[in-house]
Amino acid sequence: MADVVLRADGLHKRYGDLEVLKGVSFEVDRGQVKVVIGPSGSGKSTLLRCLAMLEPPDAGDVYLDSEQLTALPEKALAAHRSEVGMVFQRFNLFQNMSALDNVMCGLVEVRKLPKKEARAAAEQFLARVGLADKAHQYPDELSGGQQQRVAIARALVMRPKAMLFDEPTSALDVELVREVLDVMESLAQEGMTMVVVSHELRFAHHVASSVLMMDEGRIVEEAPPDEFFSAPKEERTRRFLSLVES
Amino acid sequence: MLASFDTHLFWTALSSGPYWRGALTALELTVVALATAIVIGFFVALSALSGRRSLRSGAWVYNWLFRATPTLLQLYFIWYALPQIWSGFAGSWFTPFAAAWIALSFNEAAYMSEIIRAGLLSVDPGQELAGRALGMTRRQILRKVIVPQAVRIVIPPTGNEFITLLKLTSLAFVISLHELLTAGQELSAATFQYTEPLLAALIYYLVIVSILMLVQSRLERRFTWTSGRRRRRPEAPPGVSAVAHDAR
Repeated sequence: MADVVLRADGLHKRYGDLEVLKGVSFEVDRGQVKVVIGPSGSGKSTLLRCLAMLEPPDAGDVYLDSEQLTALPEKALAAHRSEVGMVFQRFNLFQNMSALDNVMCGLVEVRKLPKKEARAAAEQFLARVGLADKAHQYPDELSGGQQQRVAIARALVMRPKAMLFDEPTSALDVELVREVLDVMESLAQEGMTMVVVSHELRFAHHVASSVLMMDEGRIVEEAPPDEFFSAPKEERTRRFLSLVES
Repeated sequence: MLASFDTHLFWTALSSGPYWRGALTALELTVVALATAIVIGFFVALSALSGRRSLRSGAWVYNWLFRATPTLLQLYFIWYALPQIWSGFAGSWFTPFAAAWIALSFNEAAYMSEIIRAGLLSVDPGQELAGRALGMTRRQILRKVIVPQAVRIVIPPTGNEFITLLKLTSLAFVISLHELLTAGQELSAATFQYTEPLLAALIYYLVIVSILMLVQSRLERRFTWTSGRRRRRPEAPPGVSAVAHDAR
């Protein structure tokens, strides 16, 4: 039996008149990497935010390690959110904190670790993303790629059960994309469970266990990368791939 | 005409006890009223941004009430009417200073709440999102992330409010508070000279505001988030300069 870490069941989400998710079911097993692609407005980011329980779905359920998150009250949810790491397109590092303080913050505030322990762990994870020497720099003083690696360290230090990446490289200058993808690739090799919204098709090809195509609030197709890229079944996927690859 | 300037009277006024005490009273009143106003204004601002309709309406009514009525009227009301309404304010503890403190705090809080609200809104919503994703509670996010970032935006207009408030304290002479302008007026009345006593009072106001501007530029540097911030010169000129001129 597969070991499911994160599961969504029939998610619906609407903003006013706009129905963004129209019944999305989805699961990711421990150690799997799922890459989600699709045109903008297809509901990819909303799906991630529902999985992270940053946006409660209007209908449907989210399970983390078979615990039903959608049944929990807001207070209990905070603790569970810390078990799923989230990386944003715009990094969203805390501007008023140094890189080290950003990474320590969750351990001190949420996990209530003593400062000394938190600092040691944060230093270790900054080193892990290759930024040990930038510990005392503030976000404004770091490049986009460095900021995103700090953001990854900030999520990783919480030892999450899964990591969610929302277009982690699309706000980066081309020459900075590689350093972020390298970190993500090594994470995948270490067996981290990941859901990645990204249009980095080569990354998807190399790293993904399976690739999903989303369009208009639905998952259109899901397949292992070889199959997905060489012989997509759906017309919608073929059209999208031809647009992205050209 | 300048020949009639009495240098001796000017220096006497400048160094006299009533002036010194008056200036101290004005400064004290400004500091405590502004501090109180920041605390009240913070909660009014949070109410104004709340998801609950009742809180939002409450904040709106508060700001409407205190901004639409003259400060002078509020001072009179607190000093004369409040003890009649509520006997708890008839005691000897209710000095002119206490009355002015209460009136100016509640008045100023209405203005501060708008400044603080703008400061809170200026913080990128992505900051709160990241905090929630980490599992922080709203209170933690507010305290550790949003408020420190809002402070930077809030400092320059708060400098303006300090100056406005300092000048408003001179209104408190109507409820017989012995502040700086009172000292000037009493000396004028006693000597029938106006230039020297009023000029001496003016000097005190200038000195107080200059000190404030120094403190403000220090604070602004303190809330600039770069690793070398203590060595760097502030990029922006001190923000208060001469902009505080609203006649409340």
